[in-house]
Amino acid sequence: MASYFENSSDALVPDALKGFARAHADLVTLDPEHGFLLSRTAAPSRRVALLSGGGAGHEPLHAGYVGRGMLDAACPGRVFASPHNRQVYAGSLAAARAEGVLHIVKNYTGDRINFGIAAERLAHRGVPCARVLIDDDLASDSADIASGRRGTGGTVLIEKILGAAADTGLGLAELQELGTRLAARCRTLAVASAAHTAPTTGEPAFPLAAGELEYGVGIHGERAQQTVPREPLNGLVERMTTALLDALAPEGPVIALVNGLGAVTPLELYAVHGELATLLDARGTDLARALVGDYITALDMRGFSVTLLAADEEILRLYDAPVHTAALRW
Amino acid sequence: MTTSTSHDATATDGWMRRFAESAHATETRLTSLDQQVGDGDFGTNLTAGADAALRRLDQLPGGDTDPAAPLEAAATAFLDEVGGTSGPLFGLLLQSLAAAVAGSGPTTVAYAEGVTDGLAAIRRVGDAAPGDKTLVDALTPAAEALRATPAGTPPDQALAAAADAAWEGVRSTARLRARMGRSSYLGERAEGIPDPGAVGVGLLFASAQGVVTDLDTHLG
Repeated sequence: MASYFENSSDALVPDALKGFARAHADLVTLDPEHGFLLSRTAAPSRRVALLSGGGAGHEPLHAGYVGRGMLDAACPGRVFASPHNRQVYAGSLAAARAEGVLHIVKNYTGDRINFGIAAERLAHRGVPCARVLIDDDLASDSADIASGRRGTGGTVLIEKILGAAADTGLGLAELQELGTRLAARCRTLAVASAAHTAPTTGEPAFPLAAGELEYGVGIHGERAQQTVPREPLNGLVERMTTALLDALAPEGPVIALVNGLGAVTPLELYAVHGELATLLDARGTDLARALVGDYITALDMRGFSVTLLAADEEILRLYDAPVHTAALRW
Repeated sequence: MTTSTSHDATATDGWMRRFAESAHATETRLTSLDQQVGDGDFGTNLTAGADAALRRLDQLPGGDTDPAAPLEAAATAFLDEVGGTSGPLFGLLLQSLAAAVAGSGPTTVAYAEGVTDGLAAIRRVGDAAPGDKTLVDALTPAAEALRATPAGTPPDQALAAAADAAWEGVRSTARLRARMGRSSYLGERAEGIPDPGAVGVGLLFASAQGVVTDLDTHLG
């Protein structure tokens, strides 16, 4: 039994948002009535605002990416639940620039519908709005899954790159086109050795034997399609990397994100990255940039994800542009 | 029973109030339907939206003669104050109706345009097509019925035709298997049960005429 430190399960998200806004008061303001965070520092050169959102429990996503060079606004839902359309609508109205707002949406039915309703409301108000749908999760790439691939780790890289592109003054259609292109060039795979702690029970969300791994988990603590025996790290990372490279077939440089899902140590994540780099080197793939750490989590799931994004010189230039948010800065 | 041949603010206000009454009168039955094919919360969400709509209707300035205002008030209530997804989708439909009425008055032509626009918005948002066992299966025939009504037809008559077409669509959902949403996981177990969201569409159009208290006469 490992329950959460909280006043109550309903209070945890709003309490955390309050704390986040206070801790990063130089970067964001919180609208407590509508439940969204707004950047205080977005570049005046932007013609289009970038807004993202989704369930809580994935911190530092999305609030941690609001600020200079990245998101203009973030709308967190309850834990693992889509934000309400009114949060997205109100956040979009507050953030919108002269040429409107771009919604960056992870591919989940609830998120798609609620962001979609907000987009229809914005259209009625005459506010231009477009969407980039992120669907990078390779494990859910199956003809049997009508809703398509899930959106996971690639979200972080795509939000960063789109932020830099928005700062160069791109218009709505150009940003949407770039975001869609980035999503198509990005794939993620995740594994877990233990489930997250279910907020309602304080118990692991699903049982997993000591010698087993869930292969292909998402970011909502659901079981994967496969349970596999544990193996040494090099074999596991090789299996994941091979699948990602087969799916992407990158011809140029790649950006890698080795991401902890909440309860894996930095020690392990760097070991994962070491294996990944060795494999990419051996295959002649140019590992041009890398992020290693907890960037998109699933509460306290003991697992990690590997994301590869097939870049080019222009994408690398946008990736390298300065960013200053709570969770990402250079 | 309203029998006016043309609509005004009183008519649209009455329509929305009767929709709220219909939602309350059928909540238990809607909940039981949704417990069989969905999350079980549709009845509660629809009445929550109805109550929020009534609060907003009561706040409209007395003597308001804008026939779009009651539709807009109900739209905002369903969009802003209802959880889940079905309730806000009703808000989108009402928002399109309000916009059409604001543009060309509470006429049969405006209702046809508003319902057609609302249906298009709901289909964009939900990615649902006819035959998927959703509210689209009731809204599509309702929109067709409205468009098929001659322009000079009194709105009440046009909305009555839309209601008949919607109920027919509701009955068709009982024969369908869901492709999306919670009931898609149930496969053939959901067959024989109409889609609760579609029932809500039937209630909306039927409430233009009067309060619906007995759902089973429409479910066949």
